[in-house]
Amino acid sequence: MRKWLLVFFTVLVIFTAFATSNVLVVGTTDKIKILDPAKCYDYFSSNVLQNIMVGLVNYKIGTAEIVPELATKWETPDGGKTYYFYIRKDAKFSNGDPITAKEIAWSINRAMKLNGDPAFLLTQVIEKAEAVDTYKLKIVLKQPDVTFISRLGYTVGYPVNPKEYPEDKFFNEAPKMSASGPYMIKEWIRDQKVVLVENPYWYGPKPKIKKVVIMFYEDPATLRLALENGEIDVAYRHLDPRDFLDMKKQGLVKTYEGDSPQIRYIVFNVTKKPFDNVLVRRAIAYAVDRQKIVNRVFVGLARPLYSMIPMGMWSHEDIYPKRDLEKARKLLEEAGYSESNPLKIDLWYTPTHYGGTESDVAQVLKEALEETGMIKVTIKYAEWSTYIDYFLNGTMGMFLLGWYPDYIDPDDYTAPFVSTEGGKSLGSFYSDPVMDKLLEYARRFGDISVRTAFYDVIQEKMAKDVPFLPLWQGVATAAAQPNVKGILLEPTQIFRYYIIEK
Amino acid sequence: MSLKQYIITRIILAIPMLFVILTIIFFILRIMPGDPVAAILGGKASIEVINQLRHELGLDKPLWLQYLDYLKNLLKGDFGKSTLTGRPVLSEIMDKFPATLELTLFAFMVAVTIGVFWGAEAARKKDKAIDVSARIFAILLYAIPVFWLGLMMQLIFGAYLRWLPVGGRISAFVDLKPMTGLYLIDSLIQGNWEAFVDVLKHLILPGVTLGLVISSIFLRMVRNNAVLMYGQDFVKAARARGIREKDIKYKHALKNALVPIMTMMGLQFALLLGGAVLTETTFSWPGMGSFLVLRIRYRDFPAIQGTVVFFAFIIIVVSIIVDIINALIDPRIRY
Repeated sequence: MRKWLLVFFTVLVIFTAFATSNVLVVGTTDKIKILDPAKCYDYFSSNVLQNIMVGLVNYKIGTAEIVPELATKWETPDGGKTYYFYIRKDAKFSNGDPITAKEIAWSINRAMKLNGDPAFLLTQVIEKAEAVDTYKLKIVLKQPDVTFISRLGYTVGYPVNPKEYPEDKFFNEAPKMSASGPYMIKEWIRDQKVVLVENPYWYGPKPKIKKVVIMFYEDPATLRLALENGEIDVAYRHLDPRDFLDMKKQGLVKTYEGDSPQIRYIVFNVTKKPFDNVLVRRAIAYAVDRQKIVNRVFVGLARPLYSMIPMGMWSHEDIYPKRDLEKARKLLEEAGYSESNPLKIDLWYTPTHYGGTESDVAQVLKEALEETGMIKVTIKYAEWSTYIDYFLNGTMGMFLLGWYPDYIDPDDYTAPFVSTEGGKSLGSFYSDPVMDKLLEYARRFGDISVRTAFYDVIQEKMAKDVPFLPLWQGVATAAAQPNVKGILLEPTQIFRYYIIEK
Repeated sequence: MSLKQYIITRIILAIPMLFVILTIIFFILRIMPGDPVAAILGGKASIEVINQLRHELGLDKPLWLQYLDYLKNLLKGDFGKSTLTGRPVLSEIMDKFPATLELTLFAFMVAVTIGVFWGAEAARKKDKAIDVSARIFAILLYAIPVFWLGLMMQLIFGAYLRWLPVGGRISAFVDLKPMTGLYLIDSLIQGNWEAFVDVLKHLILPGVTLGLVISSIFLRMVRNNAVLMYGQDFVKAARARGIREKDIKYKHALKNALVPIMTMMGLQFALLLGGAVLTETTFSWPGMGSFLVLRIRYRDFPAIQGTVVFFAFIIIVVSIIVDIINALIDPRIRY
């Protein structure tokens, strides 16, 4: 009897080992909000879409370089006002329906008409999209705009199947929607799991692993334990920095670090006293201690940032000043403050939206500023939805905020901040006609060296006027079982499941 | 008043109560700072997009008009659509509720078993080892934060011993078609033993953690009430008549101590059905608690309102049931 049991269990173990080697289990504490490209505007929803759908263009694996995807090539005969895209002939949805210029034009127009959260990426630049013939797509822009192609890299421009998606409302019923990428959704239980399987009609290279299960966790500590317990193969977003370093030290699982395009910064409401005084803003720029934030709060898993354009992106320059308490004190004196008459300010943060580390960041900033002996900081906080209210209506004078890019271009790190419109939507209320013109020109020319020259001037002006004060750039992290290969933390923050092996 | 009349009165009285609750929650949500549209868009969208969405959700209407619309829809049984996902709120709640119900039932079994048996025994042997240990156990567990206990359980049984999974309701590899949403029952109906074992394994850590914490409340309550009963004349009389100790314990002492215990248990049960937020978060249990917390963060007004009204409804139903049970236990109770 005992012998038979042994045989039975051995077979069972072999069977389970075999059955699970072609399934990748990914754990995350992130959430999916909605899987309609026309509405999707949060990280994890995009992450799933980027694995089940493709757009006209894509990013080359491991880089921020735009490459052809559904469009094999494109041209603009009139210097950037009209674009013609040539569509590949073998592209199909996962139910076998063809993807042609017609479906793509329909999807782009639908997204613009529905005007969902990410639609501004298209509506800001596109006039209309239409199919010239089955495999030729025409897109007319409002005016020439070099960020146009990068904008197509975001999920909002991905085509959807007109037979399934209603034209006049959003659609969120996975797995009833057919995919166009390497995977398709087989099952989705909200906040619990998503099951992706190979898309039989995908024209590209077959994914290395046929089935991906994404499990949703509530708590970073549980996510770590689930990985160590072998319940998941990969833990991605959001491991606690200290857990991450601990696992790295122990070496039982493999840890990955990569560039992240996320930037964190202070916003000054330039219309609110005392921050309407540029001397005050400059003094604070000299007084902040970025290295201390990085070391003390993020245990090294972040990098000090001296421009709003992140490191690793062309045109980035370390333009904001390094820490200099003497200069800070001088500027404060110039602004009329002294040790007996210190500058009294409120520093705001939001406790959960950016993870649990924000209060520590605020504390380190307070210490650094008060080291001048001429600033008194009161720390205040508000929960995220309240926080947004406060910065939109100008309640807060100085507050912490963060940014993930919508498209990989310096424009997305400058225009949304220091254009007149951007100033309003991010709570700095900065407005400068010269800056508006500079941003417009930087967007109009196709030549990178010309654009770089413009962004040099823009960055210099930003550092002089200090409506925003960059603090640090994130480091993306992931951890996985030792047998998992091919994990890539890309500068575009796309996380591709289809290149992972096991 | 007969029991039947009493129940009918209670149900009728519940209607204005529900009305008051939903009115309060409606206005509190809207008075609080924090705008649902801004929360969804994450502070990135332009003012135009924000205004458009606000219009679509009807948030640009005057408050009283929004309130009337809400009441009108509610009368039709329409809880509204979530501003976050666009799905009907009631079906979102129904997605999450079975998870919470399953956890609650399991935790309750643990808590009642420990609480009632140990409590009754402790009362009988007052100040003996079993009683002293029960009191220490109860105070200790009552004082320990549930998330800390949960974390320790995860560490010991998940990370070190690797006996049990640390989170979720079911493993990634196990396929189970949700029917009732109670996974244990679903797997039994489908005869899927692999799923049944897997679901049970997932249920043990959160269930026992939650059960232990609640058992501490039950244990103290049962013990103290039973101790009082043991001091009463009728117990002494029963002993004098030579009735078996086991019967004295359960049929005399415990049964008479049961009314306050039942009331408290019923209330606990109803509270748990509202979702044990900390336990659910610690064990990534996709139930009502974590649902409500997430939706509050996004200022999802319809979802929050719907959930609160749903909770209120459950509490009313459970308390009526408890009253009926109490009347059955103790015929002296008249209304």
